[in-house]
Amino acid sequence: MGFRHIYFKEDACTGCNICVDVCMCDALAPNPEKGKPPIEMYPDECWFCGCCMTFCPQLEKGAIRIVTPFPMRGAFRRKD
Amino acid sequence: MIELKVIPLETDILIIGGGLAGCMAAIKAAENKGLRVILVDKSNTLASGCAASGIDHIWSYIPPIHEKMGYTIEDMAEDHRQGIAYGLFRKDLFYLVAGTMYERVLDLEGFGLQFRYEDSKIPGKFRIVQQFHSVPTSFNFDGKPLKIKLTQEAKRRGVNIINRVQMTDLITTNGQISGAVGVGTRTGDIYFFQAKAVVLSSGRSNRLSRNPSGFDFNTRLPAPLSGDGTSMAIRAGLPIINIEFLSSRLLAPCGNYCPNYGDPRNTVQPAGRIVDGEGNIIVPRTQFYGWENLGKEKFDPVKTRQRWIEDRKMWRGGRATLPERVTQGEGPFYLDFNEGTDYEINYIRWSIRNEGKGTQFMRYFEGEEGLDLRKNSQEYAGWANRELSGTAAKGLWVDKDMETGIKNLFAAGDEVGGLPWAASPGAFTMGWHAGEMAAQRAKGQKEFLPVSDETMKLRKEICSEILNRKRGFYWKEVEIYLQNLIDFYCGDVRGEGLLRRGLKRLEYARNAPLKAENPHELSRSLEVKSIIDNAELVLRSSIERRESRPAFDYRRSDYPEQDDKNWLVFLAVRKEEDGGYSFTKIPIE
Repeated sequence: MGFRHIYFKEDACTGCNICVDVCMCDALAPNPEKGKPPIEMYPDECWFCGCCMTFCPQLEKGAIRIVTPFPMRGAFRRKD
Repeated sequence: MIELKVIPLETDILIIGGGLAGCMAAIKAAENKGLRVILVDKSNTLASGCAASGIDHIWSYIPPIHEKMGYTIEDMAEDHRQGIAYGLFRKDLFYLVAGTMYERVLDLEGFGLQFRYEDSKIPGKFRIVQQFHSVPTSFNFDGKPLKIKLTQEAKRRGVNIINRVQMTDLITTNGQISGAVGVGTRTGDIYFFQAKAVVLSSGRSNRLSRNPSGFDFNTRLPAPLSGDGTSMAIRAGLPIINIEFLSSRLLAPCGNYCPNYGDPRNTVQPAGRIVDGEGNIIVPRTQFYGWENLGKEKFDPVKTRQRWIEDRKMWRGGRATLPERVTQGEGPFYLDFNEGTDYEINYIRWSIRNEGKGTQFMRYFEGEEGLDLRKNSQEYAGWANRELSGTAAKGLWVDKDMETGIKNLFAAGDEVGGLPWAASPGAFTMGWHAGEMAAQRAKGQKEFLPVSDETMKLRKEICSEILNRKRGFYWKEVEIYLQNLIDFYCGDVRGEGLLRRGLKRLEYARNAPLKAENPHELSRSLEVKSIIDNAELVLRSSIERRESRPAFDYRRSDYPEQDDKNWLVFLAVRKEEDGGYSFTKIPIE
């Protein structure tokens, strides 16, 4: 499997596909198996708006998670 | 051989693009009972356009506040002209936006958005901060659900929303708009619209340059916005202004997320300051306005403006900007909230979460990195992408009622050029006005104009070819070629030789045969065609503007001086019927 950064938790995701519906870039596709988490079809075409997460009704249960790609991580200066 | 389905549709008003401007136009037009309104979006209006994941601020003239202050709308216009637009400024559009935005805020409240807060000391219980003007003019509000509320309101008023259709062509009959063509991004179906009036509000082109983060779609503003509207408009013979102003690379405070982070160059939320590696203050911290003194002090607009413009020179219009300083080997620079009070820090966190990528990245920063705004600073580290005319307002030339050179074709929001940083207020107010004007025209016209199906058939043929092609290029190859081309031949400093060579090499991109295996790839291929059109205009207009204009990151090696005498004008480019391009200088009013 190649690069991806959107992860679904199978036992929390109900397969409602709202994330697929709202994804501005159409980067996700419904799972052919009903009730299963969507598939990240085009990981390169995500603009990181986070709408798949904010619209997720099962977010609190951890159904969907965006993992920030390594080169995009923040550069901090920490005082503590 | 794939045979694409054609879906013919008839509507009084067609709105192209369902961002803030398009939604507002649809809502306003649908006030008129009996008028059919169709709103077409390439994505889903619930989460599309620059406000897809929310906005946290809107600038406006706010009569109940500013009248108390003694700050007039003329003062605000002068602030905008001098401090934000650097003279390149359409006054009529400014008055439309600044003068009607407050009414639109009241409408938005009616649609279920929250603008008033119990803890506020400001009349009306608003939260207002400084942004683009010498006094506070920007509402902060809970704008996260903006697109959801606007979609609900549009549906409540009977607007027919068609999602996942990319519009590609405008059709005119005897110089008047009569229809349009689009392609289903999930189906490949060809949509053939007949309409009495059309509003074009597709936004700008955000993928003209390679993304320095390495993630091509990690743009500050939405990557799916490929400048389809500009492409349609130029092919229809309409003039586009300011498109030569493609910015230099920007600095982002956190990786390449490019959030509006409350730093002192953008929305002046409290407490943000910029320091260098030794802790020396480069841009001092900002503070809340002293609202307790509202109306008690004598206000001097000229002095206030002078002081404000002097402060802004830390960013532009005088001293080198941070990105320039970094390219000269200075830095590192940090965004630092360490001197903020708890109230200020919480205010910032609230505000960030309402806008754009804020929710998502604050979850990452605080949840996964343990970021504490009181203790940690964030480096202006990753290079953010270049942007098309962010400061200079590229787009269509319209009249004061948002009508283009084609009768009954209106434009709104980022599709319109001439008002720098019109941004969301521009979308709300121009959208509303365009919707109103389009409705008036549609009402006044009994019959549909006859529409030729020639454009539709041609579009269908192009799409079939791309889908049926066995040997050709994947859209992304051509897109990367084009982005490399723009970055090399139309870089931070431009010269005629390179620009002309860039135009030559652009022809190869135009002639590259694209192939697609499914409707999604087809849609991206059509986007690449839009991007090629936009890129060509950037190159051509760059050749034409023979001066430098640093406030807009516009630098020519062969014309290094700013030349206000000849070039403090809008440069309009248009395509002639013979395929050639012509330029017009439009004087500033």
